[in-house]
Amino acid sequence: MVEKARSINITATLLLIIGIVYIVGPLYLTLSTASQSYEYMLRNGLAWIPGGELFANMSKVIHETRIPIQMLNSMTVAFSNALATCALSFLSAYAIVYFRIRWAGIVFALILATIMLPLDIRVITTYQVASNIFSPLNAVLDFTGLNSLIADIFGTPVHLELSVLDTRFGLVAPLVAHGTGTFLFRQFFLTLPKDLFKAARMDGAGPIRFLIDILLPLSRTSVASLFVLTFLSGWTQYLWPLVGASTPDMQTAVVGLARLVPDADGQVPDFPMIMAGAVLVSLVPLAMIALLQRYLVQGLVLSEK
Amino acid sequence: MFSHRWLPLLLVAPLMLLVVLFFYIPVFQAFYWSFFLEQPFGGGSQFVGLENFKRVLSDPEFWMAGWRTIVFMLTASLLAVVVPLMLAIAADRRIALSFPARNILVWPKGVAGASIGVVFAFLFNPFVGLMAPFNTLFPGAWNPGIDGTDAFITLVAAHVWSGIPFNFVILLAGLRSIPHTLTQAAAIDGAGPWRRIFDVQLPLIMPQLFLTFVLEFTESITSVFALIDTITKGGPGGSTTLLVYKIYVDGFSGFDLSGASTQTAILMVFVLLLAACQFFYLGRRINYER
Repeated sequence: MVEKARSINITATLLLIIGIVYIVGPLYLTLSTASQSYEYMLRNGLAWIPGGELFANMSKVIHETRIPIQMLNSMTVAFSNALATCALSFLSAYAIVYFRIRWAGIVFALILATIMLPLDIRVITTYQVASNIFSPLNAVLDFTGLNSLIADIFGTPVHLELSVLDTRFGLVAPLVAHGTGTFLFRQFFLTLPKDLFKAARMDGAGPIRFLIDILLPLSRTSVASLFVLTFLSGWTQYLWPLVGASTPDMQTAVVGLARLVPDADGQVPDFPMIMAGAVLVSLVPLAMIALLQRYLVQGLVLSEK
Repeated sequence: MFSHRWLPLLLVAPLMLLVVLFFYIPVFQAFYWSFFLEQPFGGGSQFVGLENFKRVLSDPEFWMAGWRTIVFMLTASLLAVVVPLMLAIAADRRIALSFPARNILVWPKGVAGASIGVVFAFLFNPFVGLMAPFNTLFPGAWNPGIDGTDAFITLVAAHVWSGIPFNFVILLAGLRSIPHTLTQAAAIDGAGPWRRIFDVQLPLIMPQLFLTFVLEFTESITSVFALIDTITKGGPGGSTTLLVYKIYVDGFSGFDLSGASTQTAILMVFVLLLAACQFFYLGRRINYER
C-alpha cells in the first residue's frame, strides 16, 4: 500500500529512538560505570565513557563476593524451574485434554487460579509451609482427632517435621506451583487436529506411546518457549529466594547482588564494583534472550492466548 | 479420548501436589491465621475472632500503605501499558528502526527487578547519579533519599522499564494480527495513518489491551517489592512503603505473623475483587470478533 505517511513515520521513528534510549541507556551506563575505577566515580559521578577497569572490577566481584557460587545457584534454580515446569505442566495438560475424565474442568480451574495470586503476595504463609512441609498433614491429623487415637495406641501423637528452607528443592518448588505452563500446553493441544488422535488410536497407539511419539515431537517449539520463559523467571526471582534461603551460599545471584549495596548511609558505595556485579548477574539471561528471542516472544504471546 | 482409570490421576498428581502444598495451603493459612493470634517460632496460637482485623484496620500505617499501593498501581500500570502501546504502534509501521526496536525492547525481560533496582538506585543517586550536575546548580532539587515524591518517581521509572517487554510483545502481536484488508478498506475510505490508529488499530486490539491491564494491575502491586527493597527500602520516612513491602517487614522483621497474615488476606481479597470487577464490567464490553 502506497500512501503519504511522512508525519507519522517521523513521529514513530522519534518514539522508537526514545524507547531504545530508555531501555539501553541504563544498561549502557551500568556497563560504562562498571569499567571505571572507584576514584573516577567519586570525582566525576557516573561514567559516560567506558574506561579500562571492567575486568578489574569483575575480578573484584568474583574474588571478594559470593556472586560466583550464587550464580551457580541461580543456574540450578532457573534450570530446574524450567525443566520441572515444562515436564509437570506438559503431563497435566495432557491428562486434562486427552483423557475422558469428569474432573478435568475442576483440575484445570484449580491450576489456573494460581495465576491470580502471585507468590510475592502469599510469601508469609508459603514460608511457614516450607519451614515444615508436613505441617498441613499434622494439622489434619490433629483436627480429625486421628492423632489422639494414635496417641492412645502408640503412646505419642504423630508429628512429622521436614523443612525445605535453605534447600534447592525449597527454592524451586513454590515457583513450579504455577498455572501458566498448563494453560499454554492446553491451548496448544486444543489447536492440534483431532484426526491426529484418531489416526494414532487406529494404529494402536496407547496413551504413553501417543504422548512420546506424537505429542512430544509436535510440541517442541511450545516446550522451548515455555522453557525460556520459566528459565528467565526463575533467574530473576527476588522475594522468594530472599526468604527461602538464609545462608549466602544458598542464595541466588540476584539476591547476592542486592546485598552488595551497603545498608548504612554515609560513604558512597563502590558503585563500579556493584555495577560490574549487575553486568555479571544479567549476562546469562541477556545472552539467552539474544540467542533464543524467537522462543521468548512466542512464549509471551502463547501464554496470553 | 483415552479412557483410563488411574493414568490421568498419576499425570496430574505431581503438579497438583505442588499447587496444593505451595498455593492452596498458604492461601488458606493466611485467611486462617487472620483469626488467630500466632506466636512466632511456633509458640502456639489462640483464637481471637476479628481482633486482628480490628487491629490492622485501625492502624493508620496500614491505610497509608494501602493508599500508596493504589496510587502506585494506577500511575505505574497506566504508564507501563501506555508507553509500550505507543512503542508497539510505532514499531508496527514499516520503518528502518522497527526491526532493531522489536529486538531491543525485549531485553529488560532478562534483567531481574532487583538488578535494575540496584542500577536505578545508582542512576538516581543524588550525589553521583544522572541528577548530580543538576543538583550542583540547584542544591536539593533531587534527592530520593529525603523527598518521598522523588523516591516514588524512581520506583515508577524502574517499574515501567521492566514492564515494557511483556506488554510490548503482546500489544505488537495484537496489532500485527489485524487483517490487512481492514487497513486497506479504511485507507480507501480516506482514513490516513493517524486516523486509523484511533478508528482501526485501537478498537481491534482491545482484547490485548484489556489483558495487559488486568495482568499489569496485579503485577504492579507484587513485583514492586524487588524495586522497593533495592531502591528505597520503603523510605524516606515510609513514603514508599507499599502493602507488599509492609507485609514483608511486619512478618519477617517484626515477627507479627497474625498482622502480616491479616494484611495478606486483605490484599488477596483486593486483588481478586479487582480482577473480578475488570472481567465482569470491562471484559463484557470488549468485542472479541474481528
